[in-house]
Amino acid sequence: MQLNCHVEAPLLRVFLRPKICLAMRMIVVMLTVACLQVSAGGYSQKLSLSVKRQSLEEVFREIKQKTGYVFWYKLDMLKHARKVTISVFDQELVKVLDVIFKDQPLSYEIVDKTIAIKVKETAPPALDLASLPPPITVSGKVVDEKGGPLAGVSIQVKGATGGVQTGADGSFTIPGVKESAVLVFSYVGYQAQEVAVSGRTSINIVLRAETQSLGDMVVVGYGRASRKNLSSSVSTVKPEDLNKGAISDVGQLLQGKVPGLNISASGDPNKTAAVVMRGASTVNSPGGPFYVIDGVPGADISIIAPDDIASIDVLKDAAATAIYGNRAASGIIMVTTKKGRKGATQVTYSGYVGLEQVSRKLKLMDTTQLRTYARNNSLSFSPSDDKNANTDWQSAIERSSAFSHNHNLSFSGGGEHSNYIASINYLDKQGILTGSELKRVIARLSIEQYALKDHVKFGLNVSNSNSNATNVPLQNIVLIQMTKHLPISPVKNADGTYFENFNTTGYFNPVAMIHHAQDNTKYNTLVGSFTTEVKLPFGLTYNLNLSYQQLNSLHGEFYDSYYSNYPTSNFYTNPDPGIGITHQLIGSLFGTNGSALRSSYQNTNKTLETFLTWNRQFGAHSINAVLGYSWQGNIIGDGFQSTSTNFPADNIGYNNLALGVPYAISTYRINFGNDGVYQETRFISDFARLNYNYNDKYLLQASLRRDGSSVFGANNEWGYFPSVGVAWRIGEEGFMKAQNLFSDLKLRGSYGVTGNSSGFGAYTAQLIYGITGTYYSNGAQVGAYGPLQGANPNLKWERTATTNVGVDFAILKGKLSASVDWYDKNTTGMIFNYSVSSSLVPGGKIWANGGSINNKGIELSLNATPVTNGDFSWNTGLNLAHNVNRITSLINPYTNKQDSIGYSDPEGKGQTNSTLQLLKSGHPLGQFFTLQYAGKDASGNSQFVSGKGTLTNSPAIGTDYHYAGNAQPTLLMGWSNTFRYKKFDLNIFLRGVFGNKIFDATRADLFSVNTATTNNILADAAGDKATDAKNGYYSTRFLENGSYVRFDNATLGYSIKNIGEYVHTLRFYVSANNLFVITKYKGIDPEINQGGVAPGVDYNNFYPKTRTVMFGVNVSF
Amino acid sequence: MKRILIYINFSLLLLGSLSSCHKVEVAINSELTPDVYPQTAAQFNSATGPVYVALRGNYSVDYYFLQTLSSSEAILPAFGGNWYDGDKYEQLHKHSWNKDNAWVNSVWTYLENVIGTTNQTLYILSPAPDGSAKQTTLAELKTVRALCYFLMMDLYANVPIDSVYGNTTLHTNTPRPQLFTYVESELKAAIPYLNRVSGQAQYGRPNAYTAWTILAKMYLNAGVYTGTQRNDDCIAACDSVINSGLYSLEPMSTYLQMFYPTNGPTQKEFIFAIPYDASTTNGYMFHARYDLNRNLGIRYKYSGSTNGSITDPVMNQTYPGSGLLNSQPSGPQSVLPEYYAYFSDPNDVRNGQWLTGLQYWPDGQPLMVTTTNKGYDASYSGSSPAATYTYQLNLTPGMQFRSTATGANPSLFDFGNDEIAWNMGYRNIKFYPDYTNTVSRNQNNDVPVFRYSDIILMKAEAILRGGTATQGQTALSLANQLRAVRTTTPAWTTITVDSVYAERCREFSWECWHRNDMIRFGKFEDSYGFKTDSDPNHRIFPIPTTALSTNATLTQNPGY
Repeated sequence: MQLNCHVEAPLLRVFLRPKICLAMRMIVVMLTVACLQVSAGGYSQKLSLSVKRQSLEEVFREIKQKTGYVFWYKLDMLKHARKVTISVFDQELVKVLDVIFKDQPLSYEIVDKTIAIKVKETAPPALDLASLPPPITVSGKVVDEKGGPLAGVSIQVKGATGGVQTGADGSFTIPGVKESAVLVFSYVGYQAQEVAVSGRTSINIVLRAETQSLGDMVVVGYGRASRKNLSSSVSTVKPEDLNKGAISDVGQLLQGKVPGLNISASGDPNKTAAVVMRGASTVNSPGGPFYVIDGVPGADISIIAPDDIASIDVLKDAAATAIYGNRAASGIIMVTTKKGRKGATQVTYSGYVGLEQVSRKLKLMDTTQLRTYARNNSLSFSPSDDKNANTDWQSAIERSSAFSHNHNLSFSGGGEHSNYIASINYLDKQGILTGSELKRVIARLSIEQYALKDHVKFGLNVSNSNSNATNVPLQNIVLIQMTKHLPISPVKNADGTYFENFNTTGYFNPVAMIHHAQDNTKYNTLVGSFTTEVKLPFGLTYNLNLSYQQLNSLHGEFYDSYYSNYPTSNFYTNPDPGIGITHQLIGSLFGTNGSALRSSYQNTNKTLETFLTWNRQFGAHSINAVLGYSWQGNIIGDGFQSTSTNFPADNIGYNNLALGVPYAISTYRINFGNDGVYQETRFISDFARLNYNYNDKYLLQASLRRDGSSVFGANNEWGYFPSVGVAWRIGEEGFMKAQNLFSDLKLRGSYGVTGNSSGFGAYTAQLIYGITGTYYSNGAQVGAYGPLQGANPNLKWERTATTNVGVDFAILKGKLSASVDWYDKNTTGMIFNYSVSSSLVPGGKIWANGGSINNKGIELSLNATPVTNGDFSWNTGLNLAHNVNRITSLINPYTNKQDSIGYSDPEGKGQTNSTLQLLKSGHPLGQFFTLQYAGKDASGNSQFVSGKGTLTNSPAIGTDYHYAGNAQPTLLMGWSNTFRYKKFDLNIFLRGVFGNKIFDATRADLFSVNTATTNNILADAAGDKATDAKNGYYSTRFLENGSYVRFDNATLGYSIKNIGEYVHTLRFYVSANNLFVITKYKGIDPEINQGGVAPGVDYNNFYPKTRTVMFGVNVSF
Repeated sequence: MKRILIYINFSLLLLGSLSSCHKVEVAINSELTPDVYPQTAAQFNSATGPVYVALRGNYSVDYYFLQTLSSSEAILPAFGGNWYDGDKYEQLHKHSWNKDNAWVNSVWTYLENVIGTTNQTLYILSPAPDGSAKQTTLAELKTVRALCYFLMMDLYANVPIDSVYGNTTLHTNTPRPQLFTYVESELKAAIPYLNRVSGQAQYGRPNAYTAWTILAKMYLNAGVYTGTQRNDDCIAACDSVINSGLYSLEPMSTYLQMFYPTNGPTQKEFIFAIPYDASTTNGYMFHARYDLNRNLGIRYKYSGSTNGSITDPVMNQTYPGSGLLNSQPSGPQSVLPEYYAYFSDPNDVRNGQWLTGLQYWPDGQPLMVTTTNKGYDASYSGSSPAATYTYQLNLTPGMQFRSTATGANPSLFDFGNDEIAWNMGYRNIKFYPDYTNTVSRNQNNDVPVFRYSDIILMKAEAILRGGTATQGQTALSLANQLRAVRTTTPAWTTITVDSVYAERCREFSWECWHRNDMIRFGKFEDSYGFKTDSDPNHRIFPIPTTALSTNATLTQNPGY
């Protein structure tokens, strides 16, 4: 009977997987031992044996040969066996075995002619030390998931004090470790890991980043879920994957990183990026996603310093978002900040300095070009303008380079029952336009404390963000003046005064405008939250979260006495495009002898959320149920505004309104701001969610939220938002075991309903009276108070139903993983300020539910590690998103036909009332609808295709318009690459937008050749004759392909670990943003605002884009 | 599973039953809600304000343009692309408008908005305590509404009637004759309750004589509106006003001041006027912006402009801070020569409303303008186009297209962008530029809708058209009654329909009645200026896009 599998059954090993072989051997061994263990004595076999540092197995073999005794053992047991050195002559077998086993962690028993080996029982405490195995020295290496060495990882022997840290190459040596010891590896930002030494002297460890471990755990509303068991569509972005650069805005951090998020950023440091998720889900000023920061719903995203982010989870389909009910229609972005960790105290500093330069300018004519054009067209300049200068007006208002720097210092730590993290962040970012700047300090403290034998966890988070935003005064007007000014005029006259020529209508020196005005806003945002989590019996957990948010803004504007020179009668605003937005005359704003405006407002937001979670497993069934209640009260616009004028000196600015004498100016009226700024809203919800999981194979999630809100009409205060999602983890099925292609495969499907309650005021549903102006009554102008809006008791939320089907898989042993999602998103009852007959509703507008819009799309994200080769690795991630947006109806209860709303009216010279875009069912939001350019006629004048298809020189608004393209892209792409070589890492990120059109109204306005002697034109307009008065007409001539690929970022980093005994890690990097853009677009930059109702219109509202180079350092102590 | 669902349901019920946790309404304490407003007499009074704010809104801009630029009265051409604005002005002049024309749209919306606001205000006032004050207020509001329907009947002819607030049923067009009957009955129903006084307390709100004047206008034009002449009804309506004794003609010495920024309730000739005040943010009355030549800003203190530190009064100088440049009016509008021809009587005080020929400072010095040779005349081909050229401002009669070398382009209604082009056309400053306003372009001039002189001329015309003379007044005596305070030229000895037309031109320029007169006198299809269209369908404007897109039951007027 030769049952030693190791020796006797090699064939078996070939056919059976090792695990099974092992199991079989164990079973055989155990059974045999149980049956045969009868007696231990009775044999006295003698033998001679002489071995030196031989393995126990070898020794067994020799004994077997010499005695015929068979050894029974589990192969595993010998793993910790010590080498044997023995020299005996003709000794009794038992004596020999005693010697051999003396220092082994094993003992033996002789049953019949079989020697059964077993693991020694733990030695009794009385055992003398000499009999214990001597401590060993363990060494090894700690790496991250990508194979990069981790320096400064702390390694402790569990239950002991002290420890060591890994070196720069991730290696460690820890002497005097018991073979049975357990080592604890911990490192900030990484998941701690416990490893049993088990006699090994070499241990290599892969530490998983904390977020990666969360990557297996996803933050969802009111809890976390494991990614592998998710049935909804959620994208997670880790901090190292966020965009790099001198970025102050969370939207920009995510740009290009999440399929389905269309983010367009402005170059303005004080303007947040427009974020659109899976296409516009409403025509009502489509807003961005709803932010939930550390569980605080609706938190202000400006309180987060990018360095403090631990993970961002983007909830996309309704199964994921419906738990947030009527605020979820535009998606939910969950931001989780870093927390302190047990046992690891850490101080980290991150900082950078950045330099920005304008990446591209408009190609306006310079003096030579303009003079040539004038000569060719027999034009001449007014002596008021022609001062023989050659001014680049773009440079005149731009900084040659803008400087920014950011510093983040955080310290964190934790003991057995509490942890903390505190950080402070300072950002100073200059805008590229002279005078614009953002300074911001964010301080954050987060503490978690356990109590009642760790059954209760309290958390306190306090974060305060203080910003000081200096804007370019009248920025949009300055930008348009910058483009219009003739290069032949100087910025300043010979006598040092600013050049001006008011003979040209609406012509004001942009440099003087900046110099003689101030515009500043200070914000302070405080967010405090207090959380309690109680672990109850029966798998129940109770959470109570209280939060308070307060935003204060203090705004000041000042236009000094110079502004009194400006003609009040043609000083217009240059607003961003939209529906019903036209330029406004603001000349009277400037008063006399200086004019100041001051406003101070506070918004507060109180939230109580409480929920009970039940988590139980019954065999293969596991259930997670959440039941909760949420209350939120918001007050916005608590404050005031005031203005004054007629100041004795200009240096006072907006700092002392009391010095003004406004009443000396008879027609001046103090401006207290708009009516209805103060608004109070309340949101109350009950919600429940059930997750059911059978054997990690079949997953079901269902949720229901009952939402009430004060913003809706009396008849529709409450609504229900259900969702259901199912998933099948095919990869876990038995029949998948036989294949090697997929290492994971999951099929998901979900349907749910969410709502939108944003984009309109708190009292929109109610009859409100307000001041509509003043009227003559018995000799005086008295206030006229009338309804500002009618009551609409039926006003309710927009309803967005989303169907989502997705598949997640990993192939090539996980080297390539991918997710594909298809969705169909249908919004009905869009809240919109519908036009109705003015005779029915005064003002001709009413907020009502009506119409519908559809978004269908497909998203793909791929992640691959094509190369991992010792020192070198390459990781690449690609995401693609395709969306088709279509308005399906615009019918509302007040009109039986509501269609074709023309909007986006740039009001170019002689083109008042010309619109660029059209809201119409069957067409996407942002549909361009304009004149069709048809080249020049015989006399060189621009001609257009009329509505009837004939050619015309005098096209009419509306009747001669044609459908001309879509402002929304068909494909969005983000492609990131990380290369690592030894201590270097290189990250390259490219971003692309394809298939969209941009209306370049800026270019159209700068083609106005017939006024080339008074307003500058683009060099490209040189081919048009000056008599061609309609060459700049808004038409397809200025509708351009908006596709682009941007080399968004390249970052090269070098990391050094363990410098001296104080510094754990040190990383230097250099990063460059916006290295180049591949595009056919002729404007300043093809990244034009894609949010709101008027996407894709370049409208003299561009803030120049920049190219940034920054140098940064991260140190941890 | 079932048990879990029961638990969830039960818990939801439990939560739901905690009503204090589910009170979603918020108390509104920052707004005027129906709970608090209007309650008092003063509040009810201020609640009528929005009607008058709405009425004031677009009367002197949009409504003025639609009525005036479509007639032979005035023209607003383009200058180097400026003021072309999608040919919305050109269309008015050439009668080539369509349903998309901006003015056709905005006037419809304006008048419908006054109507809707009135309906709403009537609804709001319904709970006010009953009494004669309430009856008068309601009658005044209904008269405003009737005025608007009358104006819509005049412009768009076939208009839907919406008179009840809260109704969302869309109504189709009411044909012009029925609309006529409706407005007539509304006014007649209102008259018994309307005040019979004028003066400061009544100013800006309609009294009984406003209603009679609207009726007189309607009856005089009844042939146009309904096909049936109603001259005797017109005469009776005029007599109601005449017999009130509240109104009289302004003497020659103060005729021009009647339209100055200082005008107001003391004007004995105003039966109904819309009060404008430069201090109101939505006081959209700024004729000087359109009518004043761009070099005359300082001369007329346009928008508070002042002659700065430079004493040499030559316009257009570019010394920094000279103040000779600021606050320029755009000044694109001028009178058509065909219309100005009616001002041939040198003794007529009404000639004072025109700016013609060479211009002077108030002290008699010539008003000089400095520019360049090329800036003066874009077709200049001499050797020194940029050389300074100084000339005395000279306004020339009428618009003429010059050679294309000047930048003129007839297909764009564009007369060029040089000084010669901008100085073409005589200007009207009847609504005298507001020299009191230093901040905005809004003017203080109140704008009369109905003046007593109109009553006099309407009665004269009605008699000439076959009506029966009353109270011993003849067409000739009435016309001479007016002319006696307008000109020193001897009284007329004969009178014809055409001479009444000419007198109306002289009397009501820039007062929005000329289109109405032209149609009634059969002259709307004449050729004038650059207009050759003679389609009689154009006597009525199209139902605009904005109306069609919000009310699909509307049908378009014939010919559009």
